[in-house]
Amino acid sequence: MSLLEIEDVDKSYGDEEVLHDVSLAMDQRDVDVIVGPSGSGKSTLLRCVNRLTEVDDGAIYLDGEEIHGMDENDLRRRVGMVFQDFNLFAHRSALGNVTLGLTEVLELSETEAKSRAEEFLGRVGLADQADSYPSQLSGGQKQRVGIARALAMDPDLLLFDEPTSALDPELIGEVLAVMEDLAEGGMTMLCVTHEMGFARSAASTITFLDGGRIVERGPPEQLFETPEKERTRTFLGQLTDLNR
Amino acid sequence: MTDGEAVTDPTETRGSTIGSLPGRRRLVVVAVGSVFWTWLLARWAYHNTVLDWVATAFGTPDLVRAEQGVRGREGWIPAAPFEGAAEAVDGVAATLGPASALVDWLVWLFDLAAFATTTAPALAAGAFVTVYLTVVSMLLGLVIAVPLAVARIYGGRGLRSIALAYTELIRGTPLLAQLFFLYFGLPLAQIAESVGFTGQGPVPRAAAAVAVVGFTINSSAYQSEYIRSALQSVDPGQLTAARAVGLSELGGIRHVVLPQGLRFAIPGWTNEFVYLIKYSSLAAFITVPDLFRRARTIGSETFQFTDIYVIVGLFYLALVLTTALAMGRLERWVAIPGLGSASDRG
Repeated sequence: MSLLEIEDVDKSYGDEEVLHDVSLAMDQRDVDVIVGPSGSGKSTLLRCVNRLTEVDDGAIYLDGEEIHGMDENDLRRRVGMVFQDFNLFAHRSALGNVTLGLTEVLELSETEAKSRAEEFLGRVGLADQADSYPSQLSGGQKQRVGIARALAMDPDLLLFDEPTSALDPELIGEVLAVMEDLAEGGMTMLCVTHEMGFARSAASTITFLDGGRIVERGPPEQLFETPEKERTRTFLGQLTDLNR
Repeated sequence: MTDGEAVTDPTETRGSTIGSLPGRRRLVVVAVGSVFWTWLLARWAYHNTVLDWVATAFGTPDLVRAEQGVRGREGWIPAAPFEGAAEAVDGVAATLGPASALVDWLVWLFDLAAFATTTAPALAAGAFVTVYLTVVSMLLGLVIAVPLAVARIYGGRGLRSIALAYTELIRGTPLLAQLFFLYFGLPLAQIAESVGFTGQGPVPRAAAAVAVVGFTINSSAYQSEYIRSALQSVDPGQLTAARAVGLSELGGIRHVVLPQGLRFAIPGWTNEFVYLIKYSSLAAFITVPDLFRRARTIGSETFQFTDIYVIVGLFYLALVLTTALAMGRLERWVAIPGLGSASDRG
């Protein structure tokens, strides 16, 4: 059974159809990269998976369970999310950002939460920044805290919504390194990103989304080397040029 | 601005202008403030019922005099030197002929000082009432204002309408009308009396309890508006992130939106606090013996209305400046790097 199964999902905002008949399935330890031009529905698709947005039609299953019937807070505990603009809690230190979910959602004690948060900050290389506030961190550090915050909840699946696109070029590498580590460690990840280097090295599947529809989906070598659609070749070619 | 030090970080000036004064002037303000507050606190302590009980229990019944009526209280600063000075200057003025206008104001000033020393004990008693009316109403108002503001932003349609109606009703009618309605229109004073607000010992009188109710309701509406706009200035992504971690909406509001929004609200909240100190003078019209009522009584007994209102104005000024200073301190004390600073929000 797939860990995540998206079945014929439709979503519109008013008259605008953002997702049309989108279906995909991911197994445990899969790393799916979604690419597509802006406005193609990538972020909306991610938000449907943790129900920050509700689908209009179709169904999404997590571990065989329809997510619409689940308690949304429980679902979100199992599906972590990393945001494009980090969204770190501005009034809390790096450590406090990680502990909030641990104490309030997982109901760990303060001491347990603290040691667990320290452990995860260590894993993203920020053990020494535990007491820094978001405004005192660089973009790359903020995003790594964002990853630690999601990771500490021990999710079944992590969603990445363009995690590097708000970063200065020289800071992208440190975030990608963390993501590659996670992929190697067997984390199941659904990533919206235009980092083709990461897609090539870490992705098990690439999905090309355009105009709310899946144009093509397959392993990286297939989409990069022998895509079925001309549109896929053009778009991936542009991205690869851009990343160079 | 003569001193270079006067140019400080723009964030420093938000809470209080006194905090950014250059060294020497700041010292003067702090010195005057300390003398005033030491005197005021001593005055309050000297006539405090609870302290009187304690003092009597420890065998020194004369240390605190709570039973003494406000009118019978005597000042600690003698009036005679000021009266003497006024007379002396007046003598000098008489010899100056038409030029006497140049020193007449000095005579008035010394007379005012002499008058202030005799009226100060009654005004101190009034100031105590003003302070507790304001502080208690602000804090109780805050307890109502926070849920009200949250309901305005995050509530469903029904809750939003109720909160909006409450706020607009309260903000749209005169405070004095509200107080009269509570005091004369509703049997609130009798109810207050029946539950023990009898004015015995440390318990305030029924009218004061009614005033607290009125000010609490009134300030809650204004406070909720300040808090609402502060909460709305919190980046919506913050709540999204909280929800994405698995917190409920209320949990996210409580742990993420409120801690940030309430910090943003401090300057506006200070404004409301300062207003209420002065608006609390309306309590005088429902017989509460606050600062303003003491002044009015003294005025009608002595016919020195101008003088007493100048003096009571200085009392209010001292309370307002103290509040502004204290809130500026509070703002800096709870500040978090990068949160709500001028550079981050502008």
